[in-house]
Amino acid sequence: MTYPRIDPALLVETPEQRELRSVARDFFTEHGGDQWKRMAGELGIQGLAIPEDYGGSGYTFAELAVVLEEAGRALCAVKLLPTVVLAVHTLLYSGNTEACARYLPGIADGTLTATVAFGGDVHVRDGTLHGTVDYVLDGADADLVLVSADGQIFACESVTRTSRRVLDETRPQALLEFRSSPATPVGSADVVPRVRDVGRAALAAEQVGGIGHALDATVSYVEQRRQFGRPIGSFQAVKHRLARLLVEYEAARSAAAYATACVATESAELPVAAAATAVCSSAYQLATAEYVQLHGGIGFTWEHPAHRYVRRARSSEVLFGTTQDRLTDLAAVLGIA
Amino acid sequence: MSFREEARAWLSTVADRKPEAAWGSGDDSVAVFENWTEEEEREHTARRQDWERIRFDAGWGALSPFHEHLYRTEEAAFDVPRRPEIFPVTQQLVAPAIELWGTEEQKDRWLRPMRRTDELACQLFSETEAGSDLAAVRTRAVRDGDRWILNGHKVWTSGATVATWGVAVCRTDPDVPKHAGITVFLVRMDAPGVTVRPIRQMTGGASFNEVYLDDLVVPDTDRLGPVGQGWRVTLSVLAAERLDSGSLGLDNADRAIELARHQPSLTGVERQQTAELFVRTLVQRLIGLRVTATLAAGRAPGAEASVGKLYATETMRRTSDLVLRLLGPKLVADTGEWGTFAWTEHLLGAPGYSIAGGSDEIQRTILAERVLGLPKEPSR
Repeated sequence: MTYPRIDPALLVETPEQRELRSVARDFFTEHGGDQWKRMAGELGIQGLAIPEDYGGSGYTFAELAVVLEEAGRALCAVKLLPTVVLAVHTLLYSGNTEACARYLPGIADGTLTATVAFGGDVHVRDGTLHGTVDYVLDGADADLVLVSADGQIFACESVTRTSRRVLDETRPQALLEFRSSPATPVGSADVVPRVRDVGRAALAAEQVGGIGHALDATVSYVEQRRQFGRPIGSFQAVKHRLARLLVEYEAARSAAAYATACVATESAELPVAAAATAVCSSAYQLATAEYVQLHGGIGFTWEHPAHRYVRRARSSEVLFGTTQDRLTDLAAVLGIA
Repeated sequence: MSFREEARAWLSTVADRKPEAAWGSGDDSVAVFENWTEEEEREHTARRQDWERIRFDAGWGALSPFHEHLYRTEEAAFDVPRRPEIFPVTQQLVAPAIELWGTEEQKDRWLRPMRRTDELACQLFSETEAGSDLAAVRTRAVRDGDRWILNGHKVWTSGATVATWGVAVCRTDPDVPKHAGITVFLVRMDAPGVTVRPIRQMTGGASFNEVYLDDLVVPDTDRLGPVGQGWRVTLSVLAAERLDSGSLGLDNADRAIELARHQPSLTGVERQQTAELFVRTLVQRLIGLRVTATLAAGRAPGAEASVGKLYATETMRRTSDLVLRLLGPKLVADTGEWGTFAWTEHLLGAPGYSIAGGSDEIQRTILAERVLGLPKEPSR
């Protein structure tokens, strides 16, 4: 069976999305860091993919992906992925309207942050949660934790949190310990693989933004840096490395656009598209390696931003499974035994 | 009804659906370059010409690049004659260049027969001393009143024996910088002074030719574009070729994935390598769809239109790698088993596309200079 089967028009940005991109880019460039409340108040970013019934603006994941790409380009707004992607979609897919009504309006207006803690060793005993989950994104800070335990998802706000020292400081992680933690059931944990695929699609958009930054910064550097009396960008050895990166960038953009379209249209192709975002991981890895290498000594300094992108790229490679995990998942979906 | 549905509806009135050949039976050729004799090439060409005439006369010829792509997707499901390389060269490369550069008289004279493929056109571009540096062509065209006399030696021409016309890139002024002294002519391949000799390539077959032009007389009315502007004419043909290369290698990659599916069992590494090739085919198709969707939205595509050929040649290499891993000794020694030794045709043919139509290195230089805007080498 041949993929893709979605409408190709979904792979191309609309004029409205281009507008949104420019607004988001300006916002992140101007404010940097994390301006969670301002993001909600001025731009309504948190509510983009939240239905109007729950206080959002009822756009689709395609608009959210535009913002994620720009956040990934600037390495900021780190709470978007755990809160607006993972937690929001867990709640929406749970079909639990009560839980949605309780939490989504707060997320949309910027007063509530959240994360998910899946795949740990957590169990229900006497109506409370017991056990641990590690590597939880924004786990130390998130107000609400949606945790999977014994085949169910629970909402929990009271948990012991230990921040982990991390490779990528722009993406905090924590160990969560549940010790008789009170929790409210949200729904079945059957939604976990689908939420993971949405996470892969969102991560792909962030990665594409990061690759775009690395490529732009490197192209502009090799144009102005002169050695041997000419810009180093005029040397074929440099040109061909960047051309190779451009090819991988276009591959990553294509895979990310496909995954985004599949989430936005709730396509049954999502598991294939989400696995194919493995190309975004390898392209980001290549982009950041070239970012450092083609900047030479300056690219290896602490002060230069390149290492922050190297850290982001490498740590993203293991988020939601490594490339090998994605390929193994894909082989299973395609029936390649 | 959408364009694709209309195309499908029309196709089903003139052709049968491709029979679903069971794995292990039918044609197992995966040739990248056909290993045809001259006679076989003529037969295949004639069959396709018959089909193209039916298509053209029913109003399905002369489509925009976007609609041509959609049409081709539908046609792939029908049992119609193979499309030898000279057809895309004529219809997707040469005809658009005539549309862009031809006089009204030339468009009247050439476009219809080329789109209907009554008259096929081959490229007379490369020379032994002008490969990647195509603008260094030495084939001379000297004016003689209202005609030109051509002398030179062209190489790597596919379809030279079946083409009516050859698009010849010639030097008309040796005293100006090389890009400024070039003029393009359409020459009749059956004219006195044209000699075609096959080149045997590393697959064992002869898909290409060398073409000698000896005191060939060409009327000035067959000159395409202004005198001295031939480099721009040539570039428009090459850009179309790059755009048309995006789907190269997909059929064979799909087949290699099918080969993996039909193995009794796969190791973890084989499974991953298969999934990886699948992702490549998926992404390669997505890149192409982004180009067509952008064209359909009435916008000019960006870098996605230029990376297709480089992506495709890598897909071809990865296909060879996967097949070698899956088949092992059956790939290199012919046991007579269906669909095994036949893959040597792919293995030996794939390197050709990393050279033809602008080598991978030239493609990278084009991407770096024209898409990324990096400075040119100072010596040029």
